[in-house]
Amino acid sequence: MTETRRVFIGGVGYTNLRDLSVGPAVVQELRRLAWPDGVEIDDLSPGGPIAAVHRFRELPPYDRVVLVAAVDRGRQPGRIYWYRWDGILPDRDEIQQRVAEGVTGVISLDNLLIVGGYFAIWPPDVILVEVEPVDEDWGPDFSEPVKTAIYALMSIVRRAALAPLVGLATDPATAWEEMPETEHADALYDGTEA
Amino acid sequence: MCFKNLPIEFDEQGKAYLREGVRNPYTYDTKSLATDDDKLRELLAKNGHIKSVDFDPVTRVAGALSFHTVVDINERKVLSANSMATLFRGYEVILKGRDPRDAIFISSRACGVCGGVHATVSSEAMEMAFGLKPPPLGIVLRNMLLALEYLYDHPLHLFLLAGPDYSQALVETSNPELLARAKQTLAPGANLHGYSTIAALMEDMNPLTGALYLEALHMTRVAREAYVLLGGKYPHPETIVPGGVSTTISLQSFNEIYTRLAQFFDYSKKVVAIWDDLTEFFYDANPLYRQVGSRPKNLIDLGVWDDPEAYDATYQHLSEWGDRRWATPGVIRDGELITTRLQDINIGMEEFVEHSYYENWDDYRFKTDPLGAPLSPYHAWNKETKPRPGGQNWKERYTWDTAPRWDRMTVEAGAYVRLWNTAAAQKLPWNRYLEATGSSLRISMPRAKMPEMELEWHVPQDWNAFERNRGRAYCIAYTTMVCLDNWQIGMDLLKNGKTRVSTEFELPRRGTQIGAGFWGAGRGYLSHHLVVDNGAIANYQINTPSTINASPRDPWGNPGAYEEAVMNTPILENFSKIEDYRGIDILRTIRSFDPCMPCTTHIHVDGSDHVISREINTCACGLDD
Repeated sequence: MTETRRVFIGGVGYTNLRDLSVGPAVVQELRRLAWPDGVEIDDLSPGGPIAAVHRFRELPPYDRVVLVAAVDRGRQPGRIYWYRWDGILPDRDEIQQRVAEGVTGVISLDNLLIVGGYFAIWPPDVILVEVEPVDEDWGPDFSEPVKTAIYALMSIVRRAALAPLVGLATDPATAWEEMPETEHADALYDGTEA
Repeated sequence: MCFKNLPIEFDEQGKAYLREGVRNPYTYDTKSLATDDDKLRELLAKNGHIKSVDFDPVTRVAGALSFHTVVDINERKVLSANSMATLFRGYEVILKGRDPRDAIFISSRACGVCGGVHATVSSEAMEMAFGLKPPPLGIVLRNMLLALEYLYDHPLHLFLLAGPDYSQALVETSNPELLARAKQTLAPGANLHGYSTIAALMEDMNPLTGALYLEALHMTRVAREAYVLLGGKYPHPETIVPGGVSTTISLQSFNEIYTRLAQFFDYSKKVVAIWDDLTEFFYDANPLYRQVGSRPKNLIDLGVWDDPEAYDATYQHLSEWGDRRWATPGVIRDGELITTRLQDINIGMEEFVEHSYYENWDDYRFKTDPLGAPLSPYHAWNKETKPRPGGQNWKERYTWDTAPRWDRMTVEAGAYVRLWNTAAAQKLPWNRYLEATGSSLRISMPRAKMPEMELEWHVPQDWNAFERNRGRAYCIAYTTMVCLDNWQIGMDLLKNGKTRVSTEFELPRRGTQIGAGFWGAGRGYLSHHLVVDNGAIANYQINTPSTINASPRDPWGNPGAYEEAVMNTPILENFSKIEDYRGIDILRTIRSFDPCMPCTTHIHVDGSDHVISREINTCACGLDD
């Protein structure tokens, strides 16, 4: 990185719910890597979205936030999708319901985005890296497709975190597998290596 | 003699035995619900003013709860109510065959609010099974941790979940005449909470924007930080172990906890004044509000916060150490405290599944408890969890919840039962801040920005939704002062070098051991019953407050506590057309119990072991904000 900036990488997910636990597992692996100054990595699941609001409000704003999670959106199971969050919030009743879920223990990427959005903790640049879960049973192991996707998830998160702040594409959703291998790194960004 | 329905009597030494001459002491006939259901269908078909009103899901509660009612709009009465836990709690199944120590961490996941107390109760079950007594500081730290967990829970319920039901935004829609009155009503507690009128108070209870809503969000953080200073992590600590805690503590961490706890001194005074004022305002505005959420004064609690000198984890001394708790265990029947003995509470509790998605079990292993008192086939040590998914049928089965009954009577669990039992029993251990008078509990609050003062919770004349919330508000003060008392005991232990926080143990690999943890979640009654065979869990049963309160009808056709309270609730909402009916009185009733259903986080799919973590149905039948 040539500029000093603050980037936060967060995992979101339950513990011991197989593929739904991939977010925290990915950030745990990412912590083992070397990172430039200004990059922080943590699991945002404990305490839910309100704990995240409390935490982010005490800190100087981040320039970018990258969130990684398994999210069931009815897409192709096992596939990775990444995109910039559009920042659109639902109506107030829905937000209140998400707060109620958050304080009572529901762990969900959408709740985190909505509650965090309402309390204005997010920078304009929030990148979501998601994998469509295959197996949501109880247990510590991932399904084979999601297990295989962990390296790719790590790679995308790292790229997203380190890419320059300008020049990000805003594709609503892009599937990793649909791209040629050579484009994996550059598809979303302007091609400038960090 | 506390039992009326179970054939259990006591000899001169207080030892329980089965009444002689009763051939099959625990058998019963199941009453069919078909007749009642047929009558309701007929009424619905013939009368346009009788409507089915469903709340699916009930919003602003923890977890998945649905509610079905049949309402007579003309008479403004609820004719029928069915409470439905829509998700299956599979922890009993998951835990079978595992190392007992896994239960601490797995059962903690039963709830995203009460994870700490599940872990603790699990540890206590093992302490009883394996004969482990924690050192005094381990017990004191546990008391503090669970006080702090309640200080997270109570504000969030009072202002984030139930609170919006009393906010300006909601009242101006459901009962505009009340808001007009509130604008003219001076608030008696203005010097404590700062709001000159009730309307100003209601405005700051508005969801998302109200100052009281936002303050409660902040206070959950304060409590959580204090918890983490001791427990390392919240809501699923990894420092809870059989025989105490595994955390390292120091005078510095104690001081840091104090700075958080002290923030609850004034907050307690403020919250009590708010809920006193709101309650009295509604009563004055319309005395029928005294009937919202009313039900018989039949309540139960296991007590919490152990005396470090008394608790030895043994079943043999169960009732002795139970009586020494800062919150006394007890059962209240028709407003009278009939026992405080933990053993009585344990042997009188049964769970029935006639109207639940479970199969009954055939045989039972434990005919008596470890003291020789009789145990029912439906007692937790004998219960088996046998899921039987099926269609919803009000006449037969309609919920994943079971029907726990004490002495075959519908009872209610809640934080406020701690107040009631403790006030009535007058068995508090030596302490600095609490005094039980028999009909009230006096709580001495220290000076902070506000002066020191005494708060006094009185056993209520009426039992209803408002008194549940008012009681919970007093519980913030009660809990704060129990925590401070334990903080002071902990400081003394530290200063005297008594720093040991746990007792080592080895897991027995042979034989059978049984144990139980008896405590309370933020919402009240929580028990874990454990059977270990040759080092592995043979049976594990969790009974939560919402299992008790959200229960369906029992074999005798008696409704569960939510159902009963909803059926007693008059419809006071102001509406002219049925399309405008939002069900606020019913929702106030349900939410006053502080329903917590995440212990039912997983749904079972027939014919497989498949579970999913979250299932939210939407329906515009009820009030969804």
